[in-house]
Amino acid sequence: MKTARVIFEDGNHKWIALVRDPSRPDYLIDTNEYLVIDNDDAILLDPGGNEIFPAVFSALSTEFDPRKIRQIFASHQDPDIISSLSLWLEFNPALKCHISWLWASFIPHFGGNKETFVAIPDAGMDIHVGNQRLQAIPAHYLHSSGNFHLYDPKAKILFSGDVGAALLPPGEDGLFVEDFERHMRHAEGFHRRWMGSEKAKRDWCSRASQLDIQMMCPQHGAIYRGEQVRRFIDWFAQLEVGVIR
Amino acid sequence: MAVVTQDTGRELRRIVRTNEEIKSVVATAFKINLMAMNAIFLAKRAGQTALGFGVLSNELRRFATDLQKQMAQLREMTYGSVTTVTALVKQARVNRVLERARKESTGMGRSLIDEFMRTRHGVSIARHREQIAALNRRLNQMIADTAQLVELGSVLARSAKIEAAYGGPFSAALMQVSSDFERTIGDIQHSLENLTKQQDD
Repeated sequence: MKTARVIFEDGNHKWIALVRDPSRPDYLIDTNEYLVIDNDDAILLDPGGNEIFPAVFSALSTEFDPRKIRQIFASHQDPDIISSLSLWLEFNPALKCHISWLWASFIPHFGGNKETFVAIPDAGMDIHVGNQRLQAIPAHYLHSSGNFHLYDPKAKILFSGDVGAALLPPGEDGLFVEDFERHMRHAEGFHRRWMGSEKAKRDWCSRASQLDIQMMCPQHGAIYRGEQVRRFIDWFAQLEVGVIR
Repeated sequence: MAVVTQDTGRELRRIVRTNEEIKSVVATAFKINLMAMNAIFLAKRAGQTALGFGVLSNELRRFATDLQKQMAQLREMTYGSVTTVTALVKQARVNRVLERARKESTGMGRSLIDEFMRTRHGVSIARHREQIAALNRRLNQMIADTAQLVELGSVLARSAKIEAAYGGPFSAALMQVSSDFERTIGDIQHSLENLTKQQDD
């Protein structure tokens, strides 16, 4: 089972990270899921694949009633992001799934119907959770051609999907980045290979620089805090991407 | 849970076998249609001496057309079974994952899954099973109806053989054609027996 860790809490507004399942088979990539709660409403970010649904569901239900999750945000279309959709829909068939318009007719192959999907336009959009307004921030081609991140202006947290991701070896898989330089060794190869566009990278760096980010939460690896976020953006801006090595 | 998966796996394999058998009957029915057309031309050439053979050839052609229609319906029915079995397979897969989630969960999570599996899931699996059983009953009935139709074809082929004997100089050729009919319809009967056996299994 994964662990549910509260990473931000201010009154009725909360972020929970669902992370690190010790029983996960090593052939499945490790993923982080996040639940943003505001009052009695919640949105689940990148709920993960079918195979890890039990681990995510069990951890999540220790903190929140899964039936009250009204929305899902899928940063992009990959199976480790959203293939569990049909299982979440079993618990709440009225669930709404926000995803790039580009993927809105592809994802129904994982489940859902016409009513399930909210297509995010390329420029992004606001998503309301409880009394809070979250922002879907464009991150196209990083790595998917229709890709979004989610910014929470209240918590000052950016959910950054695959940007900032690291493939951490056992023993170095803490929830937060501790040693930035050391951590980036596990992130470098991933970003070089998976992030396919220099221009998209520069656009994203410029957009992210304008946001007030206290925490950057990727879908794989550890969370960046405080000054590490700025360091990451600078590091990423300098990195040559779209190359095999 | 494993039983549901085994059941659905077996059901899918049975549908595949049934569909293959139906394909073989459809191909044979098409062959009979062509054979009947040739027989009609041959009877026309034979003239007055093969009038009875000509009538039977027309009937055999109608039989082949009816058989093709019947097999198209059977095929449609097996497609319907595939849809239902697929839904059951999907349900079984969901159940498997939920069972794992139940084991990992405690408190609220576990009670939620328990409640869910008792109500919606149980009902859903039972409904799919009922649908499969109903489809199988209809499939059995249709195979039995087809077997009766083929029996009629067999009688027509035998009668054609008798008529061939009165075909004068064309008798040998007509005999050859009617023997071909008999053998081909025998093949169809064999396929239908296989279909019935599969259904019984």
